[in-house]
Amino acid sequence: MRPLAARPEAVWHALTSLKLTLVCLALLMVLVVACTLAQVRLGTFAAVNAYVRSFLVWGQVPGTALRIPIFPGGGLVGLLLMLNLVAAQSKRLELSWRKSGLWAVHAGLILLFAGEFVTSGLQVETRLSIEEGQTVDFVESPRQMELVLTDVTDPAQDDVYGIPESLLVSSSRLDVKGTPVSLQVKGLREAAEISERAMYVEPTVDGRSYGTWRVSNALGPQSFTDAGRTWTLSMRPRREYLPYSLTLKRFRHDEYPGTDIPKSFSSLVQLRNAARGEERDVLISMNQPLRYEGRAFYQASFGKNDTLSVLQVVENPGWLLPYISCALVGMGLVMHFMFALFRSLKRAVS
Amino acid sequence: MKGIPWIAGALALAGVGAALLPPGKVRGLDLDGFGRIPVLERGRVKPMDSLARNSLLMIRGQQSFQHLGRTVGADEWLLDVMFRPDVAAEQQVFVIDAPEVLGLMDLQQQPSRYFALKTLAPHFEEIQRQASAARQVDSRERTRFQAAIVNLFERLYLYYRLQSTVQLPGTPGLAAEMESISTPEAARRQQALIDLAAFRPLPPLAGEARGEWRSVGEALRLGRAGAADPGLDVLARLASAYDANELDAFNGAVADFNALVASRSPESSRRASLERLFNRTQPFYAGMVVYVLALLALFVGWLWKRPILQPVAYGLLVAGSAIHTAGLVARILLQGRPPVTNLYSSAVFVGWAAVILGIVLERIYRNGFAAAVAAASGFTSLIVAHHLAGEGDTLEMMRAVLDSNFWLATHVVTITVGYAGTFLAGALAIAYAVRLHLFREPDPATTRSLVSMTYGVICFSLFFSFVGTVLGGIWADQSWGRFWGWDPKENGALLIVLWNAMILHARWGGYVREKGLMAMAIFGNVVTSLSWFGVNMLGVGLHSYGFMDGAFEVLAGFIVSQLVLVGLSLLPRRRAALTPRRQASRRLPSAGWTRI
Repeated sequence: MRPLAARPEAVWHALTSLKLTLVCLALLMVLVVACTLAQVRLGTFAAVNAYVRSFLVWGQVPGTALRIPIFPGGGLVGLLLMLNLVAAQSKRLELSWRKSGLWAVHAGLILLFAGEFVTSGLQVETRLSIEEGQTVDFVESPRQMELVLTDVTDPAQDDVYGIPESLLVSSSRLDVKGTPVSLQVKGLREAAEISERAMYVEPTVDGRSYGTWRVSNALGPQSFTDAGRTWTLSMRPRREYLPYSLTLKRFRHDEYPGTDIPKSFSSLVQLRNAARGEERDVLISMNQPLRYEGRAFYQASFGKNDTLSVLQVVENPGWLLPYISCALVGMGLVMHFMFALFRSLKRAVS
Repeated sequence: MKGIPWIAGALALAGVGAALLPPGKVRGLDLDGFGRIPVLERGRVKPMDSLARNSLLMIRGQQSFQHLGRTVGADEWLLDVMFRPDVAAEQQVFVIDAPEVLGLMDLQQQPSRYFALKTLAPHFEEIQRQASAARQVDSRERTRFQAAIVNLFERLYLYYRLQSTVQLPGTPGLAAEMESISTPEAARRQQALIDLAAFRPLPPLAGEARGEWRSVGEALRLGRAGAADPGLDVLARLASAYDANELDAFNGAVADFNALVASRSPESSRRASLERLFNRTQPFYAGMVVYVLALLALFVGWLWKRPILQPVAYGLLVAGSAIHTAGLVARILLQGRPPVTNLYSSAVFVGWAAVILGIVLERIYRNGFAAAVAAASGFTSLIVAHHLAGEGDTLEMMRAVLDSNFWLATHVVTITVGYAGTFLAGALAIAYAVRLHLFREPDPATTRSLVSMTYGVICFSLFFSFVGTVLGGIWADQSWGRFWGWDPKENGALLIVLWNAMILHARWGGYVREKGLMAMAIFGNVVTSLSWFGVNMLGVGLHSYGFMDGAFEVLAGFIVSQLVLVGLSLLPRRRAALTPRRQASRRLPSAGWTRI
């Protein structure tokens, strides 16, 4: 028997086979079940990363620290299914009116898969927390942190230098550009709580050390003074600044009378974009997001006795793909099953 | 012969319709009028009747009970609780099953599981002490005893609040309360009435917002400053007339109070009357009975007088679906929402969609199988719904995240039709499997039509479950900012889509034939039940409004039964092993039945 690679027709045959489709669908079902069950243990984010947004599912060999792939991951199965779909489509389905429904269905499915790949690769989720009366022009990452060095010498103005967490590798030395300060990371610490991130950092200025500090988002800013300038060190969720700002005018949290069943949440914000000369009020409520300049702002949470509103901010360049895909598949299925129904009714009558 | 289904259907409808006639008085009391009085409870304006039924359902597990050789309905019970506390204390309304709880109160297990308040009264302190200790434990980790004692305490507390809504027990009553409205002790009692109020009976005054209903305590407190709400006066008359058993005075007070609410909030009055009618006729229960009759007619018809009984069954099925539809429409009108708003209504709707689909199939194939499967599905889903309703009010208000009629009408309805289709395909396949082993020589034409029905229904469900799932994604994109989040409920819907797609591809590729298709369709029941209920038991994800505890054993039992049926459908048929020889002469006539 010749190796498979030497027989392109065999590879082609395998790639276009319906058997592969079935195997992939079955694998996908197993992965979806596993991912669902794992959410109880791992939480949604970790479970999805382990089973769906990965090419291989890794497992630990009992009794050792060895990790080996135990199952194809969602990425691999999805890719295979997509290849299978494209290949089978081009090989098997004739271009005919009768099969037009299936063409639309499969094109829609390819788009749906593509959309999920785009989402997993390009979607950025951030948050915007805002208190009544406050104006905010940045969004925060829910998972990544940044170390912040601030020059607070001038009471009228702070100079802020943010260093993303990903650059802070243990035992590395970082010169903070635009300042005389350099930071030596002494060690990263697994924090007690998931929400806490901590590390040990030694700030130095021109070779003068200011000792090793524990910096954590659970602690406030800590300061040291060098040559008449006062610096603070702190850890906070990573920020990204927007070219426009939002001011929260009012947050409302309504309940049905006599109950604690939430009736509605809404944030009335003022959107101000100097570059465009825009200044208008927007009401963001459940099921009514604000879509603006590639980002969508959703009412996600609230706090501080209903004076703090938390908006979920999503950037997803592929957000339109599922809509197109849904229309294609829905239409295709209707067409295909209608053809089939007419044929079988014709048979039943004759 | 053409008229048979019409006659059968009309008879069934007439039987159910008899419940629409106005009920007579009980003990000379206008309980129907009392039941129609609208009140605000748990954020929703509902008739007193719904409040009474739901409360009694929570406390006793039933909507009426026997006392001194007579059936006491929920409305009468509520009146006793509120205005004749001594009489109510004698009625055995607290159901207690846990032996440890009985033991705590030094009570023996008795033939009756029901206990009167009087029996429990000496143990209040101990119940409260044990319940507050048990409440420290997370509800998922409570022992049987802890769960039972917390449950008993909550029911006692509900009873106590009902008792203390219009007037406090042990006080001379509302009329006396109004006379001493501005004394310092009265202020304390008013506060207690505000804190304990189980419902708010006084509709907003002219010029106030729609939701501003008042409890008796609030109205009394307002009355200290100026003119008291005239509704208080009527309520006081109602209370004292009931206590004194003055029938005319009571009936007059009921009529006056209804007129007062109707003048202040006509919309509430109308809805409450409709809901009271809905409660009284119990369309879903009636539909269940008619479905069973249809099923019986079919079963008997397969052995005897089929040309008459099969059309009768069809007529009954259509009548059952009409009643079922009427119930759904009433719910839509009452709630002002699309038909599926919670787990309970999803079960009602799944059954409805399966029945309608089955009727369509029966119109096409006319061999009785689709009708049988439709009737069985309708019946089963209404039973499931009945058990899901144990929580009380099934018309509860919608949480903020669900407050979107557009998406409820599109995503939720579509996905539920998808569930219904997958279950119907599974049920048809079960009929196929049972028939395969029950009849000696199944008629091949009927077998073919069963297979093509199942196939067609799977196509139908693939369409609806796919579109429903993607619409759900679009809703999520609109309200949470992501199209697909691999949330357990979303995954469940996806599994149904994947499974239906697998069945169809396996069939198209020729990997499965008749039996394989049927076995896969039955397994579809497992997939659907897991994604409908199973994922709700995990307790994670964003679809938290559908969470349920318990019922795990029931679900596991259902899955095992389906797996057994999958096995049965794959077993080779053993000739004449399961049926006596003489049944050969009784086998199904292949000619079908007369056209209607």
